[in-house]
Order: sequence, then C-alpha cells, then structure tokens
Amino acid sequence: MGSARLSRVQAVAANTFRETIREKVLYNLVFFAVLMTLSGLLLNPLSIRQDEKIIKDVGLASIELFGTLIALFMGVSLVSKEIERRSLYPLLAKPVSRGEFLLGKFAGLAFTLLVNVTVMTLGLYATLWATRRGAGPELLQAVLAIYLGLLLVVALALLFSTLTSSALALVLSVCVVVVGRFADVIRNMREVAPGVPAWATQVLYYALPNLRNFDLKTRVVYGDPVLSSDLGWIGVYAASYVAIVLGLAFAAFRSKDLQ
Amino acid sequence: MRWPRLAWLLLLLPLVPWTQTRIDRSLGGFRAQEEVLYLWSGDQVRRLAPGFEGLMADVYWLRTVQYFGGQRVFATEKRFDLLEPLIDITVTLDPRFEIAYRYGASFLAEPWPIGAGKPESAVSLLERGVRNLPRSWLLQQHLGFYAYFFLRDPRRAADALLAARKLPGAPPWLETMAADFLAKGGERQTARKMWARLYEQQEEGPLKRNALNQLQRLDALDAADALERFTAEFRRRRGRWPDSFQELGQAGLLPFPPVDPTGVPFQYDPQGGKVEIARESALWRHPGPLGSGLR
Repeated sequence: MGSARLSRVQAVAANTFRETIREKVLYNLVFFAVLMTLSGLLLNPLSIRQDEKIIKDVGLASIELFGTLIALFMGVSLVSKEIERRSLYPLLAKPVSRGEFLLGKFAGLAFTLLVNVTVMTLGLYATLWATRRGAGPELLQAVLAIYLGLLLVVALALLFSTLTSSALALVLSVCVVVVGRFADVIRNMREVAPGVPAWATQVLYYALPNLRNFDLKTRVVYGDPVLSSDLGWIGVYAASYVAIVLGLAFAAFRSKDLQ
Repeated sequence: MRWPRLAWLLLLLPLVPWTQTRIDRSLGGFRAQEEVLYLWSGDQVRRLAPGFEGLMADVYWLRTVQYFGGQRVFATEKRFDLLEPLIDITVTLDPRFEIAYRYGASFLAEPWPIGAGKPESAVSLLERGVRNLPRSWLLQQHLGFYAYFFLRDPRRAADALLAARKLPGAPPWLETMAADFLAKGGERQTARKMWARLYEQQEEGPLKRNALNQLQRLDALDAADALERFTAEFRRRRGRWPDSFQELGQAGLLPFPPVDPTGVPFQYDPQGGKVEIARESALWRHPGPLGSGLR
C-alpha cells in the first residue's frame, strides 16, 4: 500500500475514531469502572473466597460484552449512516477510493475498540491489584482473543452496513453473532436432527464465523496454559475471516449505486 | 425545571422507600421462598448465554450463597427447596468450580435447620466433583468424610480417602484416617478427628465455622452422655429420676454446669432421665433417619 493511500486510510480511520468519541462510546468505561469497583468491594463476603475468580470472570465477560455491543451498534452504522445522512458523497468526491474508505472505517472502529479494551483491561488489573488478588499476564491472552473476535464482529457489521439500512444490518449482525456463539450446536446438529444432511452441517459449521474460538476466558481464569500456537491459530482464523468479510464488503460497496 | 415542580418531585421521592417498607412489612422482608427458579437446568442456562458460562456460574453461585444464607438466617420456616437445583446449575455451567462442590455439599448435607438435610445429594455432588476434578485430593477427602459421617458408610469413606492419598499433594494421614474408619466405623472419637482435620484445613468462612460447630456438638453429646450417667446414678441411689438439674446438683452429682458449649442449657426429660441438646441451641440437629450425623 502506497504512503498516500495509507495516509488516506489513516485520515478516514482518525475521523471514524473521533466520531465514535463524539457518540460518547467511551461512556461504557464509566459503567465498567462502577462494575469493577462494586465487584471488588462486594464479592469477597458474598462469594465465599471466590472473589478472584469472579472478578476475573466479570471483568473478562464485561470486556467482551461491552466490546461486542460497541462493535455491533457502531459497526452497522459505519457505512449505512453515511449514506442515509448523505455525508458519503462529498467524501467520495475527494480522492478517496471506496476501498480506502471502508478500510479506514474498519480501522477507526478497531482503534476505538482497542482503546476501550485496553482501558477495561487496565481497570480489571487495577481491581485485582486493589483487592490483593493474583493477576498475571495470562489474562492478556484471553483479552487478545476477545479483541480478535471483536474485529471479526466489526467486519461482519461493516459488511451488512454496506448492504442494507442500519436497522436491518443490526438485526443481521446480531443473528450472525448469536449463531457464531452456537457453533458447537451447529456441528452437533445431527444428534438432535438426524435428518439434516451431514454436508449441510459441515458447510454451515465452516462457513459461519465460529466465535467460540475466541473464548479463552475460562481457561485463563483457571490458569490453564494457552499455547502460543493456539493463539497464533486463533489470530490466523480471525485475520483470514476478516479479510474475506472485508473483501465481500469491498465488492458489495464497489458495486453499490450511490447515485 | 421550575422550582415548584422540583419541590413536588422532591416530595414524591420518599414515597418509594416508604411504599417499599410497607410492602416488606406486609409480605415479609425476605421472600426468597416465593422466588421461582425460571430455569431448572444448567444446560438451559448454557444455551442462553453461550460464551458466558463462567460468568453465569458465578451469578448462580452468588445466588446459591445468598439463598442458603437467607434461609438459614432470616427465614422463620427454613426451607432449602431451591438449594439443590441452584448448585446443580452452578456446577453444570462450570464443572471445575471446586468451591461449589465443597460448600454446596456442606449446605446440602447438614441436617435441618443448619442445612438441607440431604446427605445423599451431598455425596452425589462430591462424586460429580471428583469426576470433573480428578486431581483434587481435597474433594476426594470431603467425599470420604461425608460418606463416613453423614451416610455412615465406612467402606465407601475409606475407599475415597485411599483414592485421595494417591493424588499429588495429599497428606499422609489420609491413610490412617481410612484405617480408623474401617476399624471403628461409627465412633464419635473418629468423627472428632475428622472434624478437627477439616477445621485445621479450612480457610476462615462457613466451612470452618461448620467444622467448629460439629466439634462443639460432639463435645455437647459427650457432656449429655455424662449427665445421663449422673441421672442414672441418682436413680440408683434414690429409686427415681431427678426432677431437674438443680436436684441433681443438690445431690452432689453435677460436676459441671448443664449447658452445651454454646452456653444453652441442655434439655432434660425427668420421665426417662434423658439429656439432649436443646432445640434452641445452634448445635441442635433434626433427628431424621439420615443426616443427623453421629449421636
């Protein structure tokens, strides 16, 4: 990618990031802070010495949940809102290609999520530190996996955003995210519905995004080792799936009649 | 907002807590018994929250602890109907939640009103824990202790302790304890050793307090037996049972105050000279066919 193209993508990304800040997306960090503070203060007497596990569970689940909500709600409006507000036309009149625009949008929201996830992770460590509980670097493995999963959700939301209106894109994205969390059910579908052809379950299983891949929370909380190779494969899966989805989004957006 | 409206709003604000107080007074402050467990299986919860099983297990564990504590402390008619399904959901969602097996078994095994009085369920829970955490000698040890104390099954108990001994980190005294179970199954002294070990092992909290309670209960049972020997001696001398502990004392046959370790006076039956732990005492257990432990 040439430096001029890169700077154009960066410009769109920076603008997208500023836009998400203006949308007060980072307010979720306040909720997270309150949640972590309450967890730290209340869980010890309530949980019978399981506060460390629960703080980690709550922290990691919150990072994933808040991240997914941001990825979905902001992701689906990345393109469709620009079209609905007609702010896309002057932008594309400038020397910015549709591909650069999409890539910039993706990178901008990915950066917003990175800031969010980083701050929430620091908050989780701070809570564990304040409650004098163990907090090793292994938590970061789960956080990294969560972040990779969020990138995939952003890509999916962006794809639907290029295809349809914000509302419908949200419905479709939520459906895919929910189905992606039930990947194990799809794989074992024939156990409950033997009539379904094996090839159909195979196609569904491999075609739909398997969001369970990005769930290392329990393993990390229990201190099970996560091999670098495992994380590597998760990264490769995320990168390839994101590339495919963004490719589809480019194709859809390129052929879109914006007149 | 104009000031009169704000004033009205401020006047209305106390209405909410006041109304809540009235509702609590009418329906009872603790209404957990009325709550319904909407989902009765961990698999249902798992299907509803894919990827968040750990968090949901935590939520159900907190609910278990609150439900158990609420029933035990606040409820007048102590019932533990939801305890078993709550624990089941917790460990189905997170099969490695070790503390849920240990504490859950204690909540289930202890006889009413201290616990749910379901020792069979407690032992099943521990067996499930042992299957899911096969390297936890602590769970195996608990399984052995509960089988011995609550089910009075020394063979099963000894097998569990010997299995625990083979696991890394297990203390060597498990073998001795297993031998004690087989040699003196059902004796109070073995039970005392067992609860003393549990008391030493446990971190501060309900399990440690429960072990202390059990040790005090064994002391109380010893004291009640001793008092019965004194009432029998009184009868031997006078040809009748003493009317009260006071009369026993006047006869010089009361070497210690007739109260249990928590300070609650023993209950005395002058018709048969029987001495028992009083129902008001924290050491009292319901005399059911199972779950009352050693007598």
